[in-house]
Amino acid sequence: MLFLKYDKRNYRDFDWALLAIVLSICAIGIINIYSAGHSYGGAGEQSPFYIKQLLWILLGLIAMIVAFLIDYRFLARGAYVIFGITIALLLLVHLFGYTMHGSQRWISIGGLVIQPSELMKIAIILVLARYFEDHKSAKPYKLRQLFIPALIVLLPFVLILKQPDLGTALVILLISASVIFFIGVNWKSLLIAFSGVLLSVPIVWHFLKDYQKERLIIFFNPERDPLGAGYHIIQSMIAIGSGGLLGKGFLSGSQTQLKFLPEQQTDFVFSVFAEEWGFIGGFILLILFMSLILWAFKIALHARDLLGTIIAFGIASLLSWQVCINIGMVLGVLPVVGIPLPFLSYGGSAMVSLMAGIGLLMNINARRFIMHK
Amino acid sequence: MENRFTGLNAPETPEFRQKFKVVFSVVLIVFSLLLIRLWYLQVIKATELRERSESNSVRFRKIIPMRGVITDRNGVVIADNLPSFDVVYMPGTTEDNEQLVSRLQILYARKKMQIDLSSQYSKKARPFMPVKLERNVGMEKVAIVEANSVTLPGIYVDVSPMRLYPQGEITASLLGYTGEVDKDDLESGDSEYTLGDIAGKHGVEKVLDSYLRGRNGAELVEVNVHEKEIQNLGRVEPQPGSNVVMTIDSDVQKAAWLGLNGKAGSAIALDPRDGAILAMVSTPSFDPHLFNMGITAEHWRDLLQNPLAPMTNKVVSGQYPPGSTYKLIIAAAGLEEGIITPHKQFFCGGGFTMGNRTFRCWKKGGHGHVSLHRALVESCDVYFYNVGKLLGPDKIAKYARLFGLGQPTGIAFPNEKTGIVPSQQWKLARMKQPWLPGETISIAIGQGYNLLTPLQLANAYAAFANGGIIWQPYYLQRIESFDGKKLKEFKPVKIGNLTLKKETFDVLSKALWGVVNEEGGTGRNAMVLNANVCGKTGTSQVIGLPQDARARLAKRIRDMHKDHALFVCYAPQKNPEIAIAVIVENAGGGGAVAAPIARQMLEAYFKKQAQEKKPVAIAQSAAVRKNQ
Repeated sequence: MLFLKYDKRNYRDFDWALLAIVLSICAIGIINIYSAGHSYGGAGEQSPFYIKQLLWILLGLIAMIVAFLIDYRFLARGAYVIFGITIALLLLVHLFGYTMHGSQRWISIGGLVIQPSELMKIAIILVLARYFEDHKSAKPYKLRQLFIPALIVLLPFVLILKQPDLGTALVILLISASVIFFIGVNWKSLLIAFSGVLLSVPIVWHFLKDYQKERLIIFFNPERDPLGAGYHIIQSMIAIGSGGLLGKGFLSGSQTQLKFLPEQQTDFVFSVFAEEWGFIGGFILLILFMSLILWAFKIALHARDLLGTIIAFGIASLLSWQVCINIGMVLGVLPVVGIPLPFLSYGGSAMVSLMAGIGLLMNINARRFIMHK
Repeated sequence: MENRFTGLNAPETPEFRQKFKVVFSVVLIVFSLLLIRLWYLQVIKATELRERSESNSVRFRKIIPMRGVITDRNGVVIADNLPSFDVVYMPGTTEDNEQLVSRLQILYARKKMQIDLSSQYSKKARPFMPVKLERNVGMEKVAIVEANSVTLPGIYVDVSPMRLYPQGEITASLLGYTGEVDKDDLESGDSEYTLGDIAGKHGVEKVLDSYLRGRNGAELVEVNVHEKEIQNLGRVEPQPGSNVVMTIDSDVQKAAWLGLNGKAGSAIALDPRDGAILAMVSTPSFDPHLFNMGITAEHWRDLLQNPLAPMTNKVVSGQYPPGSTYKLIIAAAGLEEGIITPHKQFFCGGGFTMGNRTFRCWKKGGHGHVSLHRALVESCDVYFYNVGKLLGPDKIAKYARLFGLGQPTGIAFPNEKTGIVPSQQWKLARMKQPWLPGETISIAIGQGYNLLTPLQLANAYAAFANGGIIWQPYYLQRIESFDGKKLKEFKPVKIGNLTLKKETFDVLSKALWGVVNEEGGTGRNAMVLNANVCGKTGTSQVIGLPQDARARLAKRIRDMHKDHALFVCYAPQKNPEIAIAVIVENAGGGGAVAAPIARQMLEAYFKKQAQEKKPVAIAQSAAVRKNQ
């Protein structure tokens, strides 16, 4: 009985430290979203974002508990089903999805608006873990052994890219690449795959529409779009820098309160935080994120089996990529891509997925001593 | 515990640990780099960036694109753009804006000018959100602002396009107007709107807004305290909106406007061959330019509270009892159902008694024995009371629907009304009361519960005129991008069939010709030489007074209770090119008031046709002469 097997050690080895780190970051997130939404006050007809975010955190905690209680080996058995459902949701988005800011990302299921691309981040980790668990290899994987995983990754990648949501598509690709690199790839295969990608670039380019080309050029060279991305980056850097060592204080960030900062509740939350809480606040937050990530990798290292390692590694790399790209972006060292900051950016689907991811980490951690069979 | 992995399939091999060492190191290095960057921004560059945040001298300036030009079918421009010089104020964090405005006022006063604050200005301005103080100022004011920039920090002159409607009120209820986006627009889910954009608010400007508005440009500039540009950090050119070519004929439109001459009402002309709208006028109208400056609250209230509803396009949103124009439908129903033949006669002695109620004919002495042709030509009410009684309400409703009444035409225009085609079932559902026999008599002459829009009326007659195809009325011929590429071309859409026997068409079209062209016809005021106009007058009662009491009280009936005058027609009789419906509210008889307006429109239309087809017309008239 893998499902909900009771074992004292489950409880004894419960990862309180992990929970504490995550809840601390969430608490910072709530305070921060409160501040970012503070000057919107006038509108008032919708419930404020921080209240909504609080509800999402509670829902996330439920997801976390569920993901913790059900043995991950049992969960991994259903990986293909989970993946299939998420793909179906992505297809539904294309058919009936909401469009906001020119991108079709959301669907409403029974009044609940969800963003399936966020759920895909966890689903892709589970499905890859399951695949490599089923196809263990003592030697590094060769190109043709990686054909099926590549297809599995490309399907959601293309669907999300078409929404278009370059940021999330990129995260899916980065997580998958991290997992595949981690389990080991034959160097020759790597070389062939890489040159294959390079060769196909001009061909793909030929088929892209003009506006898609434009978008890609701007992505790789934001200087070309000084008004969109460039403006955001300038305002973000002014916000962070003007915060100084100690910050301007809660609700007192002028860049934030005067709305110079774009996307305050989502992509640029870190700037809001750094403006109001200064280097001290930013330092603490970065250390918390780093602890979270290292902790996650540690769980991957000590997992009982390959399956657990891959899942934990995937979640750890998901957190790493999102945190580093987002903060790198708002600090003006990476190009602007729409990647939210885990637990800090407003967003329900992301919160629930990430919490489920944390639940999986706890799951793998708690079951590291339990023998099966 | 050391051997905790013994016997398990744990992957903790040396290489495996090695991999994790690499991962841990990478994470540590990346976070160190992020922390160094954070330190650099927040500690080393802090002073500089704090200053920048206080002055925030980087401005993101939106560049409003030129809105698409709207032309009529002959290329006459009916909506254009003019550059407007605006006095703009960029509120800072320190300066008191009221003080600045009063300073500007003093400067203006020296040249004997007044400040004309736009509605956008309010005392509580948000820092760094530009506010338009005055729109479309003259060169003198521009000179004052430019010359005094040192004493007016934050005030500058900006140029933006402003909408110009060469025909003003004539096209206003059709084209609508433009203005700054409001809360509704921003929340409409159309993510392209941003605060300060110009959006179409009504009519064609609203319906085709996504084509007309173009795409905003923007520039990023660094400015000094006087809001003067120091450095341009980048610019994205705006993309002008697409140009729209309408099916409207400005001459017919103008003729309708002049014909209505300030009276409340509406006129619509369309092409029976495909449903293309040639003219759509609703009166009274409004000055669309009022909205360019941001309309004042009083003006707006006046427009909304005016009982003659200038902001409503009565062609699509006005609902009227059709009066005698309904007789075409009753006649068609009678013929199709075999209740009457063209030769069947009824006696009109001036009244028709049903139960204890007498329904009068408009002609006091009566028409004597009348057959269908004369009944239509002279609009005999008693004849149609008889036919209506024989048909019953549900048969009448069936044919009214067949003519496209009681349902929206689906024209791409806001607020189209459906009208009412009453039937027994309708009354039961709506009023929870059974149908009364007397009500059938009323609806037989287009009174009672019947309601239709002028558009439905014109379209019903157009379908009859073209031999039975109901087209969806449309006003959009094509859309072209600003650089002349064709983006969209409109194809006529068929929405129904008016299936009547050929004989019905023939008999009734002769009668409609007679209305306008025969001795005793009620529509003779619409006669146009050589045009073979076919039409029908209508006079619909606003309140239910008996016909004779109405005549007696005529002087005392207040204007708002006077009858609506209706006239609907098409021409020429064979291969018709134009169908018109005119409704003048509370104006009196259809033949006297509405028919002349239709004639003016017909004349405007055929005059142009004659000019265009001169050689053909001469050849034709020569042929006619030969035959004679």
